[in-house]
Amino acid sequence: MLNALIAAGIILCAIQAIRVKKLIAAALWLAGCSALTALMLYLLGAPEIAVIELSVGAGLVTVLFIFAINIIGDETPVRMPAIPPLVAWLLVILSFGTLAYLNLPLLEIEVPTLVTIPMAASSIWEDRALDVILQIVLIFAGVLGIINLISDNSSRESKA
Amino acid sequence: MASTLIFLVIGLPWIGALLVWLAGDKRTTVQHILAILFSVASGIAAVALLFNTSNATVINLDAGGVFGQFTFVADGLAVFLAVVATVIGSLAVIFSVDYMRGEKALGRYYAMVLFFIGGMAGLVLTSNLLLMFFFWEITALCSYALISFHNDDPKAVAGGIKALIITQLGGVGLLAGALLLFSQTGSYDFNRMIADPGIIDPRILSGMAFGCLVAAAAKSAQFPFQTWLPDAMEAPTPISALIHAATMVNAGVYLLARFFPAFKGVPGWTTAVILVGMISAILTAIMALVANDLKRVLAYSTVSQLGYMVFAIGCGGVYASQFHLFSHSIFKALLFLAAGAVIHSVGTRDMRQMGALGKQMPLTRFVFIIGSLALAGIPVLNGFWSKELVLEAGLQHGPIWAYAFMLLSAGLTAFYTFRMVYMVFYGKPSSEKHVHDAQPAMKVALIPLAAGALFSWLLAGPFSSLLHNSLPAHEIHAITTTEVLMEVLSAPATYIALAVVALGLIAWWQRQHLGGVAHAFRWLTAAAENSFGFEAINSGIVRLTQGAAQKLRTTQTGLLNWNIAGLLITFIAVILILVVGG
Amino acid sequence: MTTIPYIDMLTVMIVFGIGLYTLLITRNLIKVVIALQILVKAGMIALVLAGRINGQVMTGQSIALTVIVADTIVAVIALALAVQVKKHHGTVDLSKLRNLKG
Repeated sequence: MLNALIAAGIILCAIQAIRVKKLIAAALWLAGCSALTALMLYLLGAPEIAVIELSVGAGLVTVLFIFAINIIGDETPVRMPAIPPLVAWLLVILSFGTLAYLNLPLLEIEVPTLVTIPMAASSIWEDRALDVILQIVLIFAGVLGIINLISDNSSRESKA
Repeated sequence: MASTLIFLVIGLPWIGALLVWLAGDKRTTVQHILAILFSVASGIAAVALLFNTSNATVINLDAGGVFGQFTFVADGLAVFLAVVATVIGSLAVIFSVDYMRGEKALGRYYAMVLFFIGGMAGLVLTSNLLLMFFFWEITALCSYALISFHNDDPKAVAGGIKALIITQLGGVGLLAGALLLFSQTGSYDFNRMIADPGIIDPRILSGMAFGCLVAAAAKSAQFPFQTWLPDAMEAPTPISALIHAATMVNAGVYLLARFFPAFKGVPGWTTAVILVGMISAILTAIMALVANDLKRVLAYSTVSQLGYMVFAIGCGGVYASQFHLFSHSIFKALLFLAAGAVIHSVGTRDMRQMGALGKQMPLTRFVFIIGSLALAGIPVLNGFWSKELVLEAGLQHGPIWAYAFMLLSAGLTAFYTFRMVYMVFYGKPSSEKHVHDAQPAMKVALIPLAAGALFSWLLAGPFSSLLHNSLPAHEIHAITTTEVLMEVLSAPATYIALAVVALGLIAWWQRQHLGGVAHAFRWLTAAAENSFGFEAINSGIVRLTQGAAQKLRTTQTGLLNWNIAGLLITFIAVILILVVGG
Repeated sequence: MTTIPYIDMLTVMIVFGIGLYTLLITRNLIKVVIALQILVKAGMIALVLAGRINGQVMTGQSIALTVIVADTIVAVIALALAVQVKKHHGTVDLSKLRNLKG
């Protein structure tokens, strides 16, 4: 029951995020979407992931969005999209329809009882050490990229 | 022992290529010396390999799941071609010392030549079909790089690109054959298929057979792919001698000879091979009659002689075709190198501007005449014995109309050969040029080849026993040299052919009286000068491809939404294939 | 007690579909980034769910963690790029940003 409510909430937030015209409102709906996803993840038995998703998705990314939208400004194009909405719907439904058709036999499975297993730090490091290293490298690369982009920004401003 | 030799034969030229390139273009003497050293060393290793041939897999490197085992087998066919490639390669390199004196970018030249020699040796020595394709493409790359060596000359660049595209398209046939072999037998080793063609589904076998025929025809410039070889004559002449007369164009014939036991049962294949060989031989013989560029005549005659070899394979005479390949490599390399000496000193390739050069270039004239006698099939020289063996095989096993055409082209060969000799070395001088004879390095390269043209037919016996001992599937009988000689001398086909060649000679001698005949055939002359419409077909295909590419540019809109829609459509297509294919 | 996760699977598919639809329709670069975020949220839920179904809970969760990190970096850099694009081209309208036109 709770699952269904949260699921409906996520879908609602997602639809609103793309429908509204003002970009800041869209960012706020996205934050709501993140929060509800975090809740759903917790119900699925992954509390650490839920916490991380909450702080990152509803916190960091939303703040970034607000910053970026403030700098860029709110422009709303008025022309028709390049691909007619009907065609887009058709493509999306076709791709998922065929995937679902392929996966129909899987729906016979049953999910075992939920036992919340906290993710031990040792399991991250031992089983997926390479993953963790790659993530750290990725974060460093991201930080460096941001610093590069921002410094270009300011040096260009000072030249101009 | 054999494995070390194989590594040396393939590896020494490659190491030499690297060293020559690293030596830099400032130290040209070092480059010359290094190139000669490594190519001669590789030639010696190949000759040593002659005494170590066997049917067994000599080297076996495991290259992982999808590439199979990289195997090398030193059997008779492979080693003989490796010897031809490396020895004639080293002679061409020695010739280049004088021919390319003063040229820029020698490092690129020698590196590519050495890379090519190693690649060609690898092509014939390997028994993994995918690795053979890999070496096939290496030779095509080096051929392109060397044809376009003078990359500021638009004709050279155009010739190189044309050669590359046509031979690469043929290579697709070989790749298809390799993949089909893998899917049927689980490995790329073709020796199993040759020993027992029944392990492959007959329809797939015929697909592979025609794919290999297309690849061989494209590589050996046979009909309908013959247009790239005359345009490849923009390359420096040692390259024309090495790549486009003696080695790379033999790769197609090698492919057909190697796979003959496997494919001869495919219905229609041998007829197709005979047709391809025959049409190439006669068409290009006619085109050589009216060409005025010295190297173009030689290029047409190369295609024509390759047609002989292909025809022989189609008739089942694998030994005859390989023997003709051996003789042809020697005398065609000789002719090209001698022509190179002429062109180098006269400065032009147009035969109408040469004439009466014989007095000033005695050695060149002498070796050129030996080469032409071999090409025309005059007795005692090696071309005579091998051509007669080919014609005999054609008479015994092939259809009679094909034999008649081959005989006619033998006569035409004599005719255009003597036309070429006369226009260059005899007759009235067309310009008062002071020309010098061949330079020392050129002489060093020319004389062994002339000796070969005179005497290489003595190796017929050992050659056949080499092939017999190491190629069980090909059913080649070991015969001694005297038996070969007796066979040729006693066959009626020989005398018919000699009569036709004599007719060709007489026709040239009496050409003033034959003016009426020439006039009656002038429609043929005009068609031959337009290469029978094949150039028009080529440019038509190029225009079509470029037009289609222009039309397809509208799909690249640069719009993000469009690209993502493209992604989704592909995704749906893949899922649908999975759904339907089950 | 065992359940068949119809609702969760359906949610994942619908949210993913919404994200994809937006990618096909939108003309604003910021909306593209928002759509990417929605896609990744659906992906995360799918990964954790799949981990539970297959019995490899730890694997599913670790991969979901990796996906969060990667997606956050993508969002951060995409937004920085969007700011730069605005500075250089003066617009974030996709139909005007067609330098890759063939």
